[in-house]
This record gives sequence, structure tokens and C-alpha cells, in this order.
Amino acid sequence: MKQILKIGIILLLISAIAAFALGFTNEVTKDKIAEQRFLANEQAKKEVLPDAASFSDITGEDLEAIVAKFEPIQEAYVGLDASGTPIGYVFKSIPNGFSGAVVVVTGLSVDEMVTGLRVGSHNETPGLGAKAKDAPFYEQFAGKSSTSPIGVSKTAASGNDIQAITGATISSVAITKGANASIDAFNWILENGGVGK
Amino acid sequence: MKLSNLTRGILKENPIFVQLLGMCPTLAVTTSAENGIGMGLATTAVLIGSNVAISMLRKFIPAQVRIPAYVVVISTFVTVISMLMEAFVPALFTSLGLFIPLIVVNCIILARAESFANKNGVIDSAFDGIGMGLGFTLALFVLGSVREILGNGSIFGTAILGASYKPALIMILPPGGFLALGLLLALYNSYTLKKAK
Repeated sequence: MKQILKIGIILLLISAIAAFALGFTNEVTKDKIAEQRFLANEQAKKEVLPDAASFSDITGEDLEAIVAKFEPIQEAYVGLDASGTPIGYVFKSIPNGFSGAVVVVTGLSVDEMVTGLRVGSHNETPGLGAKAKDAPFYEQFAGKSSTSPIGVSKTAASGNDIQAITGATISSVAITKGANASIDAFNWILENGGVGK
Repeated sequence: MKLSNLTRGILKENPIFVQLLGMCPTLAVTTSAENGIGMGLATTAVLIGSNVAISMLRKFIPAQVRIPAYVVVISTFVTVISMLMEAFVPALFTSLGLFIPLIVVNCIILARAESFANKNGVIDSAFDGIGMGLGFTLALFVLGSVREILGNGSIFGTAILGASYKPALIMILPPGGFLALGLLLALYNSYTLKKAK
């Protein structure tokens, strides 16, 4: 009995120290990590909609309507020029890839075209699906028309298609799904004459 | 303190080619030379840290609960390193972040804790961690290079086999991991057998 108590207390002690170390590290790093994620987010928006001078979040009922209608979109932003006129929209969607959620950020300009797409955090296979983060893949999306959905081609892409990553069709289709949901949401916003009304 | 503790992990007792430890991350991440090195170095850092910590605690941890105690120590280490990296070196985190959660389940770490660090002094354990880590890195690098050259015609992302080479895509897909590992093991064994004769 005494032995068991002693062992239990030692294990408790080790776990308590570990928990304290984790809590302490979390306390020290959480603001820094939040800041890094915020910066990365801002950077991603800027990259997909380079012409925008600033961004404002779409919130409340508008966001709820978009999220409900256009799965898998999670967040939406309006890109404004220097004088505050909306010149485009950025959508963050989280489609399911080959092994879990893939964060896709898509930018669309009011000129009815995709201005850019970036892939954020993901768990796709290194060397295959993870190539979605490489420029040759995501740059295919920039310049596509927003009047029709983007297709995925396994061979040479033409028209409004993009070429899938070799060996990672599922990842490519998932990302394109995110892009197409963004296009649909974008068209819906334009038909309704903007958000916040 | 013995220097052989440092060197024997590199070839003579290589964690992959001789001990066949940590096969899961080995097969999963060696789709390119760069991934192999990244995973190898991240593992080395954790291996040194956990070996030192477990060696220091070896008189304190009761034998009956050593495995749960090691698991707590190792996962605490990995989580703390991951949080610190994300907060203070985000660039490194972006490239290595993928591998960090995989280290927790890497049995090399637990195996070295169980078979070496809990019986030896702190400096020897640190040496063992460095040696085993480098051996692991070397093996992952070789495996990753072979798969990347055959499966993608490139090394470190630079094409080397020319445009006329048709990549054997299977080499960077999961079956290629088994193929490459099996062939490399055969090569390694034929070399050591020859040497022994």
C-alpha cells in the first residue's frame, strides 16, 4: 500500500511539473503566437487581393448567411481601396483534403476574377498534397474568371480549369472546392449589392 | 564518458538501418531530401533534450511507472519546443511544424530513454542523443534523396535528371517508401556482411 502511494505521488509530481511547464510556456507564448497568426492572416489577405489598401471583417448576420449558404467558408473580408470603396472580397474556407482540414484563402476582385489563392495550414502528404503550398500550383488560380466555377483537370488544363497536382487529385479538388465556394459567395454578395445593408 | 556513445548511433547502430526504429515517421516524411533532414533535425533536438531529462530523473522515477513518466516528459518537451518555435521563430516553425507532432509518437525517443538514458549519466545520454539523432537524420536524408531523385527527378527541389526523365511517381507515394527502405536495407546489410567476412 505504502509503495503504491509513493509511486502514485511521484507520478503525480512529474505530471504536475509537466503541467506547470506547459502552462507557463503557454502563458509566455500565447500572445506572441496569436500575433504571428494574425500577421500571417493579414499577409495572406494582402497576397490574394494585392490592390486592397485595407480589409474589414464581414461579421454578424452577413457572415452567418455566407457560412450557412456556402459551406466550407468560415470567414469573409471586404478589401477596400485607399478611399474606402470595396474593390474585392477575401474568403477563408476550410475544405476537407486528403487527411483533414485545409485552409484556403481566396481573393476576388469586383472585376469578376480571382486575384489570388493561398493554401494555409494543412495535413496533406509531404511531397504530394503539400505541393499545394508551392507557387506553380496556387498561381494557377489567379486570373481565373469568377463567372463560372473552376474545374480540375488531370492532364493539361485549359479554360477555367486548373491542373491537379500529380498524385494528389483529392487535395487539388478540395482546394478548388474552397475556391468555388468563394466564387459562389462572391457572386451572391455582388447580386445583393454588397454587404452590411 | 565515452566517445563511442556519440559515434555508434551514426552507422554501427543506426536507428533505421540497424535498429529499425521509428518506421512510421520514416516512411511518411521521406518524400524529399529536405523533409528527411527537417524531420531528422527536429527529432535530434527532442532526443537530446529527453535523454538528458530522463537521465537526470533516472534515480527519481520508480521502475514500475517509468514508461508513463517518460511519455509525460517527452510529450511535454515536444509541446514546449513547438510553442516556443511558433512564437519566436515562425519561419522555422512553418517548415518544421508539420513534423513536430510526429515526434511524440516516434519510438526512437522512447527506446533511447528506456534502453540508454535511464541507465547512464547525463553527458553520455546527451552524446547518445546526438549520435542517434544524427544517424536518424542521415538515414532519413539518404532515403529521402533516393525517393526524391527517382520519384521526382530532383534533389532539394532542383531538377537534376533533365526533362526527358519520366519520374517514377510510385517512389514518392507510400509504396515507394517501403521499396526504397527495403532496397537500402539490403544494400546496407550486404555491405556489413562483406565487411565481416
